[in-house]
Amino acid sequence: MKQIFTLSVCVLMWTSLGAANAAEEWGLPEEKVARFEAKVVDILCELNGDCPAKCGDGNRQLGLLDKKDVLVLPLKNRVSFAGAVEELIDFCGKQVIVDGLFTTNRGYKVFAIQFVREAPEGKWRGATQFTSRWAKKFGHAENSAEAKRWFENDPRVNAIIKADGKLGLGQAVDAAYLKSQQ
Amino acid sequence: MQRFFLAPVFTALLMAIIAFSTTPADAAASKRVKITGEVIDSWCYITEIMYPEGSAHHQCALWCTAGGVPVGILADDGQIYMVLKVGSDTTNVANQTIMKIQSHRVAVDGDLYERDGIKYLLVASVLLDEGIVKKTHDEYGIQPFGN
Repeated sequence: MKQIFTLSVCVLMWTSLGAANAAEEWGLPEEKVARFEAKVVDILCELNGDCPAKCGDGNRQLGLLDKKDVLVLPLKNRVSFAGAVEELIDFCGKQVIVDGLFTTNRGYKVFAIQFVREAPEGKWRGATQFTSRWAKKFGHAENSAEAKRWFENDPRVNAIIKADGKLGLGQAVDAAYLKSQQ
Repeated sequence: MQRFFLAPVFTALLMAIIAFSTTPADAAASKRVKITGEVIDSWCYITEIMYPEGSAHHQCALWCTAGGVPVGILADDGQIYMVLKVGSDTTNVANQTIMKIQSHRVAVDGDLYERDGIKYLLVASVLLDEGIVKKTHDEYGIQPFGN
């Protein structure tokens, strides 16, 4: 009886630990939950040998080179409208274990990262670093309303929208469209 | 005697060949191409989580570009070309030049690399910028929130 209880506790702990870092399903086309080991690489460096220090220090798209030498393209993290670079840049040139979703659609197979850790036994980290780094870069508190809705408060985006409108066709077209929707 | 003399030379040559063959530069070969199409946010286009083209998606495409989602060109041949470089600027995350032409129809030339099913484009120059050609907002609204 004691053995069964011990075994049950172990199974419960194992499944709980696994669930804590297991990717959520998002309902993407041909979605597959995946956990694999890969090396974090600067894609441009990998393709043409142009290799600045620190993988471009966050200014270049990063790829995941798996053990079969397949270059996986991570497009997303777990933050709205944000990519994978801020989640991977700390691991430039290192082996990591990533947990997330592959999605295949329109002839392309890409990856969304949800958790990452340095291989083989690093601590899991949620793929949400983007928000705090954006906040620091643009002078907001990490948990501020501005950081949570970073995309509406990004000065680079807002400068372009101020000039070209949300539709990109000029402020007059925006105004006419929004008026038509009232 | 001659064999002993040549052996180190061959060894050195062999090592040089191996060293060069394992650099990232040789991972793929490029070819020069000219591409015409719309600058897109690759995530929304590939996943179809919302309508991803033209004026309806312009604001969202700016958000995703600033957020570091890779930018692509959806070419007239239906293929996506992931942009890794524009001109001499090798930054490709939240690149300001790319943000200013997001959702525009453009013609570019550059070097194409293909690796594991993805086309990567190093744009040498933007030959033509027609601005946003697809006026999609009347049909699809402003993606994704409607304002």
